[in-house]
Amino acid sequence: MISKRFVIKRLLLLVPVLFGVATFVFAILHLSPGDPARVIAGQRASEEFVRQIRTELGLNDPIWVQYGRFLFEAVQLDFGQSYQIQRGQPVTEVLRYKLPVTLEMAIYGQLFGILLGIPAGLLGAVKQDAVSDHVTRIGALTGISVPIYWSGPLVILLFAQVLGWFPASGRIASEFSIEPITGVITFDTLISGNFAAFQSAAMHLLLPSLVIGIYSMALISRMMRSSMLEVIRQDYMRTARAKGQGSKITVMKHGFQNALIPVVTVIGIQFGSLLGGAVLTETVFGIAGIGTLLVRAIQVGDYPIVQGTVLTFAFLFTMVNLLVDITYSYLDPRIEQ
Amino acid sequence: MTSNDTSVSRRSLLKAAGGAAASASVAGYVGTGSMDDVQDQEGGTVTYARGNDSGTLDPQNTTSGEDVKVINQMYDTLIDFEPNQTSLQAGLATEYSLDGTTATLTLREGVQFHNGEEFTASDFIATYRRFTDSDYQYYPGDEYISAYGPFTLGNWVESVEPGGAAGGGAGTTAGGTETDGGTTTEAAMVDQETTTGTGTETAAGTTTAAEDGTETAAGGTETVTPTEGDDQYGLTIELSQQYAPFLRNLAMFASSVLSRQAIQEYGTDLNQNPVGTGAFQFENWDQGNQRIRLSANGDYWGEGPFVDEVVFTAIGQNTSRAQTLVSGGADIIDGLGAQSSQIVDNSDATELIRTQGINIGYMAFNMARFEPFRDRRVRQAISYAVDTEAIVNTIFQGIAVQASQPIPEQVLGYNEELDPYPHDPEQAQSLLDEAGYGDGFEFELATFQNPRTYNPSPIQAAQTVRSNLDEVGISVTVNQQPFNPFLEYTSQGQHDACFLGWMTDNGDPDNFYYALLHPGIDVEDVPEGQDWVSFDTEGFNTTNRAAWANTEFMEVVEEGQGTLDEDQRAELYREAGQIAHDEAPWVFIDHAEELRGVANRIGNFQIAPISGPLLKRVRIQG
Repeated sequence: MISKRFVIKRLLLLVPVLFGVATFVFAILHLSPGDPARVIAGQRASEEFVRQIRTELGLNDPIWVQYGRFLFEAVQLDFGQSYQIQRGQPVTEVLRYKLPVTLEMAIYGQLFGILLGIPAGLLGAVKQDAVSDHVTRIGALTGISVPIYWSGPLVILLFAQVLGWFPASGRIASEFSIEPITGVITFDTLISGNFAAFQSAAMHLLLPSLVIGIYSMALISRMMRSSMLEVIRQDYMRTARAKGQGSKITVMKHGFQNALIPVVTVIGIQFGSLLGGAVLTETVFGIAGIGTLLVRAIQVGDYPIVQGTVLTFAFLFTMVNLLVDITYSYLDPRIEQ
Repeated sequence: MTSNDTSVSRRSLLKAAGGAAASASVAGYVGTGSMDDVQDQEGGTVTYARGNDSGTLDPQNTTSGEDVKVINQMYDTLIDFEPNQTSLQAGLATEYSLDGTTATLTLREGVQFHNGEEFTASDFIATYRRFTDSDYQYYPGDEYISAYGPFTLGNWVESVEPGGAAGGGAGTTAGGTETDGGTTTEAAMVDQETTTGTGTETAAGTTTAAEDGTETAAGGTETVTPTEGDDQYGLTIELSQQYAPFLRNLAMFASSVLSRQAIQEYGTDLNQNPVGTGAFQFENWDQGNQRIRLSANGDYWGEGPFVDEVVFTAIGQNTSRAQTLVSGGADIIDGLGAQSSQIVDNSDATELIRTQGINIGYMAFNMARFEPFRDRRVRQAISYAVDTEAIVNTIFQGIAVQASQPIPEQVLGYNEELDPYPHDPEQAQSLLDEAGYGDGFEFELATFQNPRTYNPSPIQAAQTVRSNLDEVGISVTVNQQPFNPFLEYTSQGQHDACFLGWMTDNGDPDNFYYALLHPGIDVEDVPEGQDWVSFDTEGFNTTNRAAWANTEFMEVVEEGQGTLDEDQRAELYREAGQIAHDEAPWVFIDHAEELRGVANRIGNFQIAPISGPLLKRVRIQG
C-alpha cells in the first residue's frame, strides 16, 4: 500500500534536516558566551588549569576544525563525552538511559490523549450543543489553557499530598531495584515478573502521564469534534443517510475515517510538543528523562549533551512526521502523490 | 572474643579516637568482625532526595556538592570533621600532627576497602599521585582530574612517604604479614606499579618504576624502599611551605582515600565503580531513575551504619521534593527554599531542621576596572546604602543571617566585635560627598540568574541593590547571566561589581581569606600606594573578584597561613576580619542557613555542612 520509494524519499530528507539542526546547535553553542573548559574546571580552578583543559579538549583549535570534527564524529553517532552531568560518559550512553524514560511517559500521555480525546470529540459532534458537548468543550478549553507547571503541582498537591493516593514524584518506589533492560520501566518490571514493582511503576507514571496528556486530549477532542462536524455535513454523508443507511452510529463508520485525517495530523504534531512538554512534566515530577537532561545541560554548559539531545529530538520529530505521513497515505492513498 | 566484647571495644575505641596507636591495633581485629555489625543495624532503607543526580562517583573527578553527598558515604578521609563542626577528629588516621612543614600520620590498621583489600599507606600514596602527578602511570588526565588536585594537595605537598615517627607501634599484628607478601615486592607496592603476585608482574612493575623515576626525579616517593613492615601504617607528608590549613585539606572529600588496586583496575572508570572504606558500599546506579543505591558495609571500621541501605534520588523541583517527603516517598531532603520549607514545616509527618551554613554571599567591587571603587569611602558608602537586612529577611525570607565579615561564626578567627553595616543612606551620602562623588555615578552589577545557597534570589537581590543605590544617586545596571558564563565573565574581570559567594571546602579561615581576598601575588609585587592589582597580573588569583591587594591584609593572611598555633591564628584572622570590614572590598551580604526536611521515622540525623550527609549514624525508628 505504501511504496518503498515514498519512505526512502522521506528518509533521505532526514539527512539535510539533521545536518541543518546539527549546524544550528553547534553554532548557537559556540557563539554563545561560556567556556566549557571553565565548566569542567569549576569555580576553584586557576586560569592555568582551565587553559590545560581547553587544550586537551581541542577548544583552542579554529572553529571550523572543531565543527568538522563534530560533524565527522556525529555521523558515526559519536557525540563526545559529557562534561559535567555524567562526567566522562559517552553521550549516546547517557541518552540510552534517558530516552526510554521520556518516550514511555510521552506515549502513555498520548494514549491518554487519544483514548479520552477521540470519544469526547465524537460525543460532542454527535450530540452537538447538548450538555455533554458543552462539558467536553469547556473541558478541552481548560485543558489547552492550563500550563503544565501549574497543573502538575496542583495534581501532586491533591492526589499525593492531600489524598495520598499516588506518589508525588519519581518512577518507582525506592525499595525496588530494577535492572534496566529496555529502560521502559513498566515493561522491565513485567519482564522481570515483579508484579509489585510493576504496580509501583504504574502508580508513579499515572499522574505525570495524565498531566502531559491533558493538553493533547484537549486538542484531539476539539479537532475530532470540528472535523467530524464538517464531515457529517458533507454531501456523501447526507446521501448515505438519504439512502437509508441506518442509524447515526453506522454513518459514523463512514465519516470517522475521513474525519480522522486532520486528527492524525494533530496527534503527530502533538507528539512533538509532548516531547517539549516532557521538559516541564519531568521537572515537576522529578523524572529523569531527556527533557530534564536537556535543561540541565543548558544550565551547566554541558555542550556534548546539548548537541546529542537536540539532535535526538530532531530525529524523533522527523520520524514521527514520517509516521504521520505514512498513516495519511493509509487513510487516503491520494496523499502519497 | 564475644560479640559483646567487640562492640564495647569498638565504642571505647571511638571515644578514644585520635588516641594511642595501641588502640588502633585493636581496631585491626575489630573492624573485621563483620558478624557483630549486623546486630547493630536496625535495618531498612533510607531514601535521600536532592535536586540533581550525581555526575560522577569519583572524589578526584568533581567539584560539585551534589556528587560529594554520595561520595562521602562510600569514602573515608585520613582525618574527619567533627559532626557539624569545623574541628577535626581521627579518620583513617588515628593520630596526626603537623609540625613545621612535616605532617605525620599513624594509620588505622585492619581497615578493609569494599573490594576486600586492606588499607595501607600505599593506598594513600597512590591516591595522592593519581590526583596530582601527571607522570604517574595511572594519572587520569587533566580534563578528568578536578581543580581540587592542585588546590588541596598538589600546590602544597612536596612528597608523601610511607612510615613516620609514630610508626604505628612496633610490629603490630595484621599489617606486615598479611598484606606485604614479602620484602621484594614491597618496593614495587610503594611504587604502585604492580600488585603482589607473579614474578612477571613484579618485573614489569620495576621497569615502569625505573622509567617513572627518571621522569620525576624530584618525587621522593618513587625511590623509597621501606625497611620495616609497619611502615605501611605510617605516613610522612612533606610540605613545600608552612601551611596551617593542611590537616583540614586532608579532611576534605577531595582527599578521600582510594584503593590502590581499584586505581589500577579501573582507571577513569572509577567514576562508575567506587571502591572506598566508607560505611556504605556501592550497589548500583540507575540513571534512568536518577537513583544511586548503596548498601551497609558490614566491615566498617567505625560506628554504624544502622540501616541496610541508602538510596539517593533526584527530584529537580523544590516543592515536588518537599511533597515527596511529606507523602512518604523520601526520608531526608535537602535544597529547600522558602516555599518548600513551609510544606515540610506544616506537615505532621516531617520535621524541618536548620543550622547555619559555612558560607558567605557578597557583592565584590572590581577595583581594577571601576575607578570610583578604588576609594574606600565609596565602598563604605555603598555598604551603608545597601539594605542587607532587608535582603536577608525579605528577599531571602530569613533563611540567612547578615554578614559583617568574610567568615561565619563557626570558623576559627571570627571577629565577634564586628557588626554588619547598618542601612544608613545619610551616612552613605556624606561619605560619597566626601569622596567627591556626591552627584553619583553609574556602574554595572553582574549577577548569576539561578539561586545558589548563599544567594537564593540573586535577581531580586540585585534589584534591591539597584533601588537602594538609586536613593544615593548611584545608578546600577543589572547584568544577569547563567552561572557558568557569569563565572567566566567575572574571572576575566569584566564586571564593575558582581554578586558571588563561597561554600567552604574545609572550614578553615584561610579557605575564605586567602582564597577569596588575597591576590595570590607577593606583597612586593603590589604597586606602591595602590591597594588593588589588575586581572592580568602574572599569577593573579582570579577568585579575588574585587582585585583587592591590600598589603597589610595580605601580610596578616599570609602569616595566618603559616601559623600553626590555633590561638595565634585566630587572633590573626580576627585582625584580617577587621581590616576587611573597614576596607570593604565587598558588601558583606549573608551567611545562608542549611535546611533539611526529615521524616519522623528517621532518628539521629544531624546536618553536617562540610562533610555530610551523615547517613552512617541515621536510624529508622519504629
